[in-house]
Amino acid sequence: MLAAAFPSLIHGALVVGAVLFVLGLVGILTRRNLIVMFLSAELMLQGISVSLVAWSRYHGDFGGHALVVFVLTVAACEAAVALVFVLQAFARTGRLDSAAWQSLRDTEVPRRIDRELPATDTVAPVWPRLTPSGVEPAHDDSAEPSREHV
Amino acid sequence: MTLPDGATPLLLGSVAAFAASLWLLLPSVQRAGWLERWSSRLGAALGVAALAGLALAGRRLGGLGEEAVFQIVAAVALVGGAATVVTRSPVYAAIWFALALAGVAGLLLVLGAQFLGVATIVVYAGAILVMFLFVLMLAQPTGLAPYDRVSNEPLLSAVAGGVLLALLTVSIGRLSAEPPACCQVPSRADAVAAAAVPARPADPAALDADAVARLGAELFGRHLVAVEAAGVLLLVALVGAIAVVSRGEAAESAERGAA
Amino acid sequence: MRSLLLVLVPLLPLLAGLVTVFAGRRLGPRVHLPAAVGIGAAAIAALFLLFTAGGAAGTGHDTAAPVEHTVDLWRWATIDGALTPADGSAPRPLSLGVTLRLDPLTATLLVVITSIGLLVAVYSIGYMHDDPDQPRFFALVSMFVFSMAMLVASSSFLLVYVFWEAVGACSYLLIGFWYRRPEAARAAKKAFLVNRVGDFGLAIAVFLLWLTYGTLDFHDTRLADGTLVPGILGAARLADPTAIVGGAIGTAICLLLLLAACGKSAQVPLHVWLPDAMEGPTPASALIHAATMVTAGVYLVTRCAPLFVAAPGALAVVALVGATTALVAGLIGTVQTDLKRVLAYSTISQLGYMFAALGTGTLGGFTAGIFHLVTHACFKALLFLGAGSVMHAMGGVIDMRRFGGLWTVMPVTRATFLVGALALAGVPPFAGFFSKDEILAALHSRGWPDAHASGHHDESPAAATPPAVRVATWDRRAAPPTIPVASGSAASHRAVAVSASGGAAAAGPLDWLAGPRLYRTLFWMSLFTAGLTAFYTFRAVFMTFTGPLRLPPEAHGHGAHGHDDHGPSHGGHGGHAGHGAAGHEPAGGHRTAVSHESPPVMTRPLVILAVASFLAGVVLFIGHGLARFLAATPSLAAANVAATAVPPVFHWDLAIQGTLAAAIGIALAAIGHYGRRSDGPSVERFLGPLQTLFARRFYFDEVEHAAVVRPLEWLAAVAATVDRVVIDGLVRSVAHVPVALGGVVRRFQGGVLQRYSLAGVVGVLGMLVALAWNLWL
Repeated sequence: MLAAAFPSLIHGALVVGAVLFVLGLVGILTRRNLIVMFLSAELMLQGISVSLVAWSRYHGDFGGHALVVFVLTVAACEAAVALVFVLQAFARTGRLDSAAWQSLRDTEVPRRIDRELPATDTVAPVWPRLTPSGVEPAHDDSAEPSREHV
Repeated sequence: MTLPDGATPLLLGSVAAFAASLWLLLPSVQRAGWLERWSSRLGAALGVAALAGLALAGRRLGGLGEEAVFQIVAAVALVGGAATVVTRSPVYAAIWFALALAGVAGLLLVLGAQFLGVATIVVYAGAILVMFLFVLMLAQPTGLAPYDRVSNEPLLSAVAGGVLLALLTVSIGRLSAEPPACCQVPSRADAVAAAAVPARPADPAALDADAVARLGAELFGRHLVAVEAAGVLLLVALVGAIAVVSRGEAAESAERGAA
Repeated sequence: MRSLLLVLVPLLPLLAGLVTVFAGRRLGPRVHLPAAVGIGAAAIAALFLLFTAGGAAGTGHDTAAPVEHTVDLWRWATIDGALTPADGSAPRPLSLGVTLRLDPLTATLLVVITSIGLLVAVYSIGYMHDDPDQPRFFALVSMFVFSMAMLVASSSFLLVYVFWEAVGACSYLLIGFWYRRPEAARAAKKAFLVNRVGDFGLAIAVFLLWLTYGTLDFHDTRLADGTLVPGILGAARLADPTAIVGGAIGTAICLLLLLAACGKSAQVPLHVWLPDAMEGPTPASALIHAATMVTAGVYLVTRCAPLFVAAPGALAVVALVGATTALVAGLIGTVQTDLKRVLAYSTISQLGYMFAALGTGTLGGFTAGIFHLVTHACFKALLFLGAGSVMHAMGGVIDMRRFGGLWTVMPVTRATFLVGALALAGVPPFAGFFSKDEILAALHSRGWPDAHASGHHDESPAAATPPAVRVATWDRRAAPPTIPVASGSAASHRAVAVSASGGAAAAGPLDWLAGPRLYRTLFWMSLFTAGLTAFYTFRAVFMTFTGPLRLPPEAHGHGAHGHDDHGPSHGGHGGHAGHGAAGHEPAGGHRTAVSHESPPVMTRPLVILAVASFLAGVVLFIGHGLARFLAATPSLAAANVAATAVPPVFHWDLAIQGTLAAAIGIALAAIGHYGRRSDGPSVERFLGPLQTLFARRFYFDEVEHAAVVRPLEWLAAVAATVDRVVIDGLVRSVAHVPVALGGVVRRFQGGVLQRYSLAGVVGVLGMLVALAWNLWL
């Protein structure tokens, strides 16, 4: 039944907005890295923007657009201030872990500590080193008394 | 809560696949051996299935964005968003976020919000994302930190997300199928028709030549105070950021002086 | 005049006690004055009352008209309609008031109480001289004299119960006078708790009396509308013997009264508190546990004589308990080494004699019991005070094995102690001889009724009609009813009334006990016990006073301070019936280097009591003065009691038997102990295993501990455990519920902010789902 109260484009845009919002929500709730948490928050805001624009397109006016402009503005301010705080937090604890701050817990609840961690590839990749230019590379004089060609 | 054309089970099934894929993809520790190795591939497969299911359900409901452009752009946005959330390295997450931004911008352009699409790229990807990368440069330990390899309650969060998504899609589907008996909001289209605002073109899908002008009229006409307030907000944020930083520096220098 | 004196006798010691309580500390060294003056004045008043309480004496074996004078002091409460009698008459009120009575029995006992109280108070001036708690002691002695005087002067069972408890409380306080000593505290507790068992019996008896008789007063009272309510022991009831309830109810009441008497008068099996009560000061022991409090039981049984005579089974139980107690206590006393313990067991034994006399149920028996009470008060108080004197000189040592040969050191004490011992042993002509002889005569008259009826009765049996009460008993045994009966004198119209009714009294369940065979056995037991009494008494005398002079080391510390400046020695007032000033011996007190006689304030009472022990028996026995005096008591003039009166005759054969038994006892004691060291081998070792049995006091304490104390302790432990585990546990678990709930909820606050947001999201989702469900379902 194609009642078509929604044009399909708007329906699709709303669904995409919803999925983006949910993805951002899950990211905020699960990830422990503060930066990734903020990225997820921005993702939520993107989903909101898409939905707002779709709704304004449904209504045929620009109210939603205006709201998205404000969302953009506020997101910028929020990101700026929040990142300042993240840097301060990093300066205090040395890591970007949201679980570093557990003082709000009740007196008898123990601190949450990671018990086991998956193995990680801590081996730092070895990048090839190029010799710096303008410097004669070290060579062994005794190794070649004569050279076949210059 | 039934939707026409048996779209409900398809929707719910794809939402379940979505939640399962999220759970599998999120960084986690307590997994059985074989699951550990296959989780990423299984998660990806489930995610693709979820997307396909959503598309199919949308088609059943009333056509889901037949334009190929929309589908491609939407896919880009969704993949980028999912990858942002599940990547272990925060730098990669930022890059994936950039891709998601690109997709979102494309979506906005497809939806006819030209200014907003470009503004998204400029402000978000150009300024905010770069700020994130700078912070990562300043504050990232080498290698993968332990807290990047674990997540808080992945299962419960995935399930909550799935429920929310189901709620949203089903409600969108119902709204698409028929508007609810209550809350019959009179369409703005009728109100607009009576207003002095110039009527929108017959085909809203077409790119409006004066969309930006109209947006400007809307902003500075009806939301002037809010715009000014937004300007003040930007100033306050700027000053506040500087103030916090300078206070922190003063405290550090005091410590170093006392030590 | 009589009323005023009657009120003064208990009132003066009460006032003295209150003055001592409130102003004792301020009186300083004169703290004994209020007590001595108060009790002395009460003694004088009691003497006056004695002279005014005598009734018209009958001639020969006539009973005197009952004398009774009541003083209604204060009506405390009246509960209307408290009892509806079964015969449909008007409902009776329960009237609670304070009424005192004066009759020969009361007068006799008041004199005994106040006189002994006075002598003990005087003695205590010297004995408690060094004690810092003197005010408390004298206050307690005054309160005790008050309580005991009120007990014997009360005219209502409820009042008797109140003062029964009061004397128990005073006894507890006096036994535990030196409460810092754990043994004293334990002994006081034991005394009180054992008395409590008896008090329980008295309480139940009071309830039964109320239910049976509809009143608790002894005397007759009048209701507001003029109807006469006959008192339980009032003139209206006692004239008619059928008005006393016999049978099962009567036996039950009497047995309960006997239980109370056993508790207070230390009869088997409630006697265990009296030896331990020796932990109290010796003057207190002399007053309470020799002369007065322990005789409250004897008084109670005598007062309720009509009730007992109506229940011959209960009478037999009384006699049995009494004689058994006398024998058991006598046996235990033969192996005691503590002088005061010997005297304590001797007290129990003599009280047993009194109960045996009361248990005969004859007028002669009752009067013999009271006679023995009076004489026993004299010589037992004398012995106790003498023991106190010895203890005072020996520096607190009272174990006879640690000293000896005090004959040379303490002249007054030795003489008076010897007098008391002779009186206790029953050697003529000392007081104990006469009273013990009367008791043996009473027992003999029940054990061999033929000898008494035919030999000493000059009444023709034909005109004698047996009182109705006896008919039931004797008919069953098919023995000729040869009970002596009151003669038909002008004053004995009651006998006519008695003979008119026939067999009205019901048969009690224990009446089969009351037979001559029982009383014969009890007679031989009592005779043997008389010999035992003489033996252990003189064993104690010889161990203490004969043999080489040995003093314990504690005695050397004594005597540093002079004794001439002790308080003014009070000369004697009041001996007993009819005696004025007694002769004073010159005050002893020559000081040796190590130990000495007690000061005059302590020896003068000893002398007075010695004189009384010597003379009281003769004086009271001449003309059977005491017996006839007491016969005017309403309780003893009751029809059924008066019916058992015999013309008093001196039984020479019984006197010789008693004296012979005493002589044998003294001889055995002399063989074993005269002149020997008191810690040397004793004659008791020939008893063999019996000695252990006696020394362990027939294991009464162990049995009672196992049978009563242990189960109660177990019960208390169970109750305590239930209280602690179940009840407290329940309360605590109720208190734990919020804590547990909180503990569950607390885990949600882990401090990890993302969990908080997750919780918020889940909550919002829940609401949204519910909303959507309602909206679209």
